[in-house]
Amino acid sequence: MSYAYLFKYIIIGDTGVGKSCLLLQFTDKRFQPVHDLTIGVEFGARMITIDNKPIKLQIWDTAGQESFRSITRSYYRGAAGALLVYDITRRETFNHLASWLEDARQHANANMTIMLIGNKCDLAHRRAVSTEEGEQFAKEHGLIFMEASAKTAQNVEEAFISTAATIYKKIQDGVFDVSNESYGIKVGYGGIPGPSGGRDGTVSQGGGCCS
Amino acid sequence: MTWIPYKRSWDGIDSTGHNVNAGLLEKDRNLYTIRAVPLTDVHSIHRHAPPLGWQYVIVVLSSGLAHPPLYFYNGGVREFLATIKQHVSLLRSRDDANVFLVNDLQDPLQKSLSSLELPRAVPGSNGTALHSSISSSFSNETPGRLNDATVDGKSTTTEYNGKQKQKFNDPARDISIQVLEKFSLVTKFARETTSQLFRESHHDSSNSYERMQWMNSGSINMASIEPTIKQKVPDENPATLDSLQVDKLSLVWGKARQSPLNYVEWATFLDSEGRVKDSEALRKRIFYGGVENNLRKEVWRILLGYHAYDSTYAEREYLASVKKSEYDVIKSQWQSISPSQAKRFTKFRERRGLIEKDVVRTDRSFTYYDGDDNQNVTLLHDILLTYSFYNFDLGYCQGMSDLLSPILFVMENESEAFWSFVALMERLGPNFNRDQNGMHSQLFALSKLVELLDSPLHNYLKQADCLNYFFCFRWILIQFKREFEYEQVMYLWEVFWTHYLSEHFHLYVCVAILKRYSRKIIGEQMDFDTLLKFINELSGHIDLDGIIRDAEALCVCAGENGEACIPPGTPPSLPIEAESMYLPQDDDL
Repeated sequence: MSYAYLFKYIIIGDTGVGKSCLLLQFTDKRFQPVHDLTIGVEFGARMITIDNKPIKLQIWDTAGQESFRSITRSYYRGAAGALLVYDITRRETFNHLASWLEDARQHANANMTIMLIGNKCDLAHRRAVSTEEGEQFAKEHGLIFMEASAKTAQNVEEAFISTAATIYKKIQDGVFDVSNESYGIKVGYGGIPGPSGGRDGTVSQGGGCCS
Repeated sequence: MTWIPYKRSWDGIDSTGHNVNAGLLEKDRNLYTIRAVPLTDVHSIHRHAPPLGWQYVIVVLSSGLAHPPLYFYNGGVREFLATIKQHVSLLRSRDDANVFLVNDLQDPLQKSLSSLELPRAVPGSNGTALHSSISSSFSNETPGRLNDATVDGKSTTTEYNGKQKQKFNDPARDISIQVLEKFSLVTKFARETTSQLFRESHHDSSNSYERMQWMNSGSINMASIEPTIKQKVPDENPATLDSLQVDKLSLVWGKARQSPLNYVEWATFLDSEGRVKDSEALRKRIFYGGVENNLRKEVWRILLGYHAYDSTYAEREYLASVKKSEYDVIKSQWQSISPSQAKRFTKFRERRGLIEKDVVRTDRSFTYYDGDDNQNVTLLHDILLTYSFYNFDLGYCQGMSDLLSPILFVMENESEAFWSFVALMERLGPNFNRDQNGMHSQLFALSKLVELLDSPLHNYLKQADCLNYFFCFRWILIQFKREFEYEQVMYLWEVFWTHYLSEHFHLYVCVAILKRYSRKIIGEQMDFDTLLKFINELSGHIDLDGIIRDAEALCVCAGENGEACIPPGTPPSLPIEAESMYLPQDDDL
C-alpha cells in the first residue's frame, strides 16, 4: 500500500509495562495477555491518515530488560517517534523513566517526538502513580502525555496518532529535512512536503483517561 | 559412456592421518560407476587438476545429477576429454576454463552459475548421433592407470594438511573465500544431486571411504591453496587456479540427515552398566539425526554434562537423588523468606517479580504450558527463582525462561530440569551477563566467520554499518528458540550440544542462514533497520535440515581457520576463568 510518509516509532520502557500489548492493540485491535515476552525487538505496522494523507507507521517494540540496553540503544537510530511507557500500578516503572529518557536523548535524533504513556489505566484500583505526576513529568521534559489501557483500548489509537500528528506538523513546519532518513521519516508517493492547508480533524488529542 | 572403477582397495593414509584400510566396498564401486550414459544426457564435464594429489573429473548430467569424482591416478584427463571430443562438441565455458560443456552452444552453465538457477535440461542441439558409446576407450583402458595410485601425491597432501594450516596469510585467505563462494553457487543445485547419490552410502556409518572423500574434499582444497600462494607460483597452468577455486561439485555439503536415535540403537552405545562406550560415536550419531523424544530425558542429561558419559546407571541414579536433596535446600532458601523479610529485600522482590511476569509469557501456546493455573508454569517459576539463588551473581535475565521451557518439558521433573538447566547455563550463562560480554564475543566471532566464509556479504555489511550483527542477537541469545517450531528447537539444540564438529556450531548455523539470503541482502541494499526486520521475519520460514547441512559443510570447509575466528572462551565454550565469570548485577528492570 502506498503512503505519503513512513514514520519509524520505537516503544521503550521497563519490562512488563505492556509495550507489546499496546502495539498489538494498535495494529490488530485486540488484547492478548499471554503474549510471549519480547526478546530483542518485534515489529508492527499500520496505516493511518493525517491531513488526508496516508501515513505508514513502522513500530519497533523493544525488550525492556536492563541487560539488553546496549542492544536496544541501536534501535533508536532513525526513529521519528518514541512511546515511552510505564505501568501506573508499578511505581518503579515510573521511577525509571528518567533513565529511559536519557537513553533516548543520547541515542535518538534530537527532534524525535516522545509520547509518555501511563499504561494499565483500567487498573485504577491498583494505581501507584497519579495522573498529575505523569503530567508533571511530561511537562518537565517536554513530552506529550496520555494515560492509556492496552486492555480496554482506551487512548491507544490516540497515543499513536497524536504522536504522528506532531511529527507531521514538524514536517510541515520544516523542522525535518525529510530527504534525510536519519530522522526516521521516509517520503512515499505524494508525500513531497509543500504548503499545506493545515491539519484536519482526523487527529484527536486525547487527554488523560483516568483522571 | 561407461565408467567402471578398477581400484579395489585402499592401503594408504588419508589426509586426516588415519589409516584407511577399508576395502572399496561393492557399494562404493557402484557409487563410482557410470553405466552407459548417452552423451546426449551429459551436460558438462568439470576438470580438476590440483597441484597436489590426483586429477579427476566430474560428470554433470543435464538432469542436474552430478556423478562423484572420477579419479585419474596417473594422468589421462586430457586424453579422456580428447576422446569425448571425437564424439560430441565440447566447449570450454567462458567462465571457467576447466568446465567443458557438452552439446551446448549457449553456455547455459555460465549463465546459470551466476544466476543460481541451474537448468534442469539442456536443449539437445545435435542429439542424433550421440549415443555412440565410448566405453571401449575408457572402461577398459583407464583401469590400468587407476591401478597405480600415486602415493607421493597422498603423502604430500597429508603434510600440507598437517603443517601449513596455521600459516594462513591474507591472499590465501581471499582465495579460500572465493573457493567458498564458488561452493555456495552450486550448493543448491548440487545438494539435490549428491543427496541422491550419497543417501544410500551414508546410512552406513562405517563407510570410511565415503567419509574420507568428504573430509578430503574440504581439507585438500584449503591445504592445497596455501602453498601455491605462498610460493607465488606463477599461474602456468590454467587448471591450477581453478583447482584452487574449489572443487565445486566434489565438495560434498553436509550429509543427509538421519532418523533420530531410538531406544534400540541407544542401547548399543551403552555397556552393561550403562556407560557410554564411545562418546565420540554417540555425539556423531546424534549430530546427524537427533534423538527420539522419549529418549531425550536420558540423553540430554548426558549431552548437557549433568551426567558424565562414563557414568553407570547406578551412579546416575545416585547422583539424581543427591541432587534432588541439594535442589530442595537451595529452593528452601527463597521459600523461607517471610513477607516482612521480603519487604527489606529489594533484589529478591525484583527478581521474583520479573520471573513471575515472564513465566506467564513463555510458550503459553504450547500445550504443556497452556491454560490457567498450569502447574508447569509454576515449576518454571520455581526453578528460575531457585537458579537465581544458586547463581546469585547472574540472577535472572529474560531469555532464560525460553531456554528452560524445553528442558522442563523433556525432564518432567523439577530437580532434574533444574540441574540440566544449570549444566546448560555453565555454557550459556555469559549470554545473560549484565555487560553482555558473552553476546558480544559471539557476535564478534560471527562477524569474523562471515568475513571468512562470505566476503561479499561481509563487505556489504561493513559498508552498511551493520557489522555489530545485532540482527542476529535473538538467534544467539536463546539458540534459535524463536525461529523454529518447538520440536525442531529441541532437535537443533541436541545437535548443538553434541559439540561434534565444533562447540560453536550455532555460529555456523548463523552463517549458513545469512549465506542463503546473502544475495537478497546485498541485492536489496538492506540497511540496518530493513535487515533486522528481514531477519526477524525469517522466523518460522527456515529450512532446518538444509541449514544444518549447509552449516556442517561450512564448518568443515572453514576448518581451523574457522575456529581461529572464535576467541577462546567464547560461549558456549566453558569460561577460561570461572571465577570472574559474572559481574554482579546492580539492579534489574
